[in-house]
Amino acid sequence: MNNSAPEITIDEKACVGCALCADICPTKVFEYSESDAVPGVVKAHECFGCLSCTEICPATAISHSNIRMSQVFYHDPKALALAKKTGETALVYNVIEEEESLKQAEEDLGMRLLSVASVLKQTLGQSLPAVGTMAGRSLATQLPRYQHPESVEDVLAMIVHMFSGAWEIEPELSDDKLTLTVGKCFIRDLCGREGISLGGDLCVLFYNYLAGYFNKISGIRPRLTKASRGQEQCVYEVKLYKPSS
Amino acid sequence: MKIKISTEWLSGCSGCHVAVVDLHEKLINLTDSVEFVRVPVLMDEREYPRADVGIVEGAIRSEHDRAACIKMRESVKTLIAFGTCAVYGGPSGVGWLYRGDSVLEKAYGAGMTNAPGEWPDSNAPKLEQSVVPIDEIVTVDRYLPGCPPHPYWIASAITGLLSPEKKSMVQKTVCSRCERTMKKVSPVALQKGNVTAADDTVCFLSQGVVCMGSVTMERCLAQCPNKGVACSGCAGPSTDIITEPHLDMRTMIARRMSMLTGIEEQEIRQYIEDEARTYYAYAMASPVMYKKPAVKIREWAQ
Repeated sequence: MNNSAPEITIDEKACVGCALCADICPTKVFEYSESDAVPGVVKAHECFGCLSCTEICPATAISHSNIRMSQVFYHDPKALALAKKTGETALVYNVIEEEESLKQAEEDLGMRLLSVASVLKQTLGQSLPAVGTMAGRSLATQLPRYQHPESVEDVLAMIVHMFSGAWEIEPELSDDKLTLTVGKCFIRDLCGREGISLGGDLCVLFYNYLAGYFNKISGIRPRLTKASRGQEQCVYEVKLYKPSS
Repeated sequence: MKIKISTEWLSGCSGCHVAVVDLHEKLINLTDSVEFVRVPVLMDEREYPRADVGIVEGAIRSEHDRAACIKMRESVKTLIAFGTCAVYGGPSGVGWLYRGDSVLEKAYGAGMTNAPGEWPDSNAPKLEQSVVPIDEIVTVDRYLPGCPPHPYWIASAITGLLSPEKKSMVQKTVCSRCERTMKKVSPVALQKGNVTAADDTVCFLSQGVVCMGSVTMERCLAQCPNKGVACSGCAGPSTDIITEPHLDMRTMIARRMSMLTGIEEQEIRQYIEDEARTYYAYAMASPVMYKKPAVKIREWAQ
């Protein structure tokens, strides 16, 4: 990061003269003149890089350089790749892609999860699983589902795909018995790093999170009958209670 | 040494192929440096000859589409997802809302166009349960959205491929080429159901008409708004909508229109949600939109 003043350029050919940038800028960097019908950059040194103007600009006419961008850990890699491949990038990103930083983000998130789980445990005690279930059920109403899955197999395939970033899940279904084998697991890695034994609050919380999601979408009540956890994989045996129709 | 171009047409309407022909005399200039080795609408080439550039139009709707898309990927060096269907699912992507079975049942079982119960014979490629853009199946090197992309952009894209140092594909929105004046006007009432506005020189948003220009990538030279029809978003979302998880078409339109006219944001957003099927028609099958509230489209549409 150099210390020179931020530079803000307005592509006058693209600009439509709406002056929304001047309205929205918190530090009044822009001044709009009726005669030119184009906003001028009058106080570039006041810009602190919030990018509100870029966001509101209907024509993508404003670009910045020399601003300090906050680091962004979370971005959908798929969306970023698509945006990059449609042409030259019009927007400035500061996306953390290096392996090291991603690892840092993962550890950071892990620590937060741990503290959230411990606070929940202290305040709710035995109700911890219920919190996981509620979170999972509420997720089910938000995550994409244009087509309602019609069978248990469909629901399971969707779950495997949906959570592949955090867990490697292999479901096996026979009648009303479901066996979930979890290979790669975000929570297990975290427990390994922090020296926490498996099967603690976090495992309980997230198993119930998945169960809640499954329950809300399929209408089937899963009951955990056996859980065996290990360093390579964890196996959950679940009995399914279909609603009596 | 001419660059070899191979094209394929999946679930699309052929409009993108026709747009290539719309290059007119530019096409003749192109043939000095380009050789077409496979074009389904012009040549009788069934196989997939090796080529430098592959252009794929249309989404994946049937087993044939899937197989053809994979063969295209294997036979070309650079693959272009050509047109909104290939990039986001496009109009074909609306099939996302229904399972393949129920589509067939509606068309053949209910006898809308034939004697009820006459099913297509086994020679027809099997319909898949869902529709996906081609990057769900193969890796795509370049995306050229548009419905169809304007010949100007097709020429730019091909020129860009011929000489990679040329920066020709800017990512601006439709507003950047729109001649209308965006200004603050009030009081204005929300014009429901309108795609045209009284004043031809003033921005649609300023006149209370929902226009998708500010949230749509410009691959069309802003043809519609310049000729008096509000943008319907056919080239799919603009880069900020694609990449920023917290931005969405309806909220950005509502924010801008509200700042220009003073109409309550909530009212505009509600209206867009009520008309959901229209405003998400082009990109709803794309994973890019999975994380947006647009997934509630089923609820909105009821």
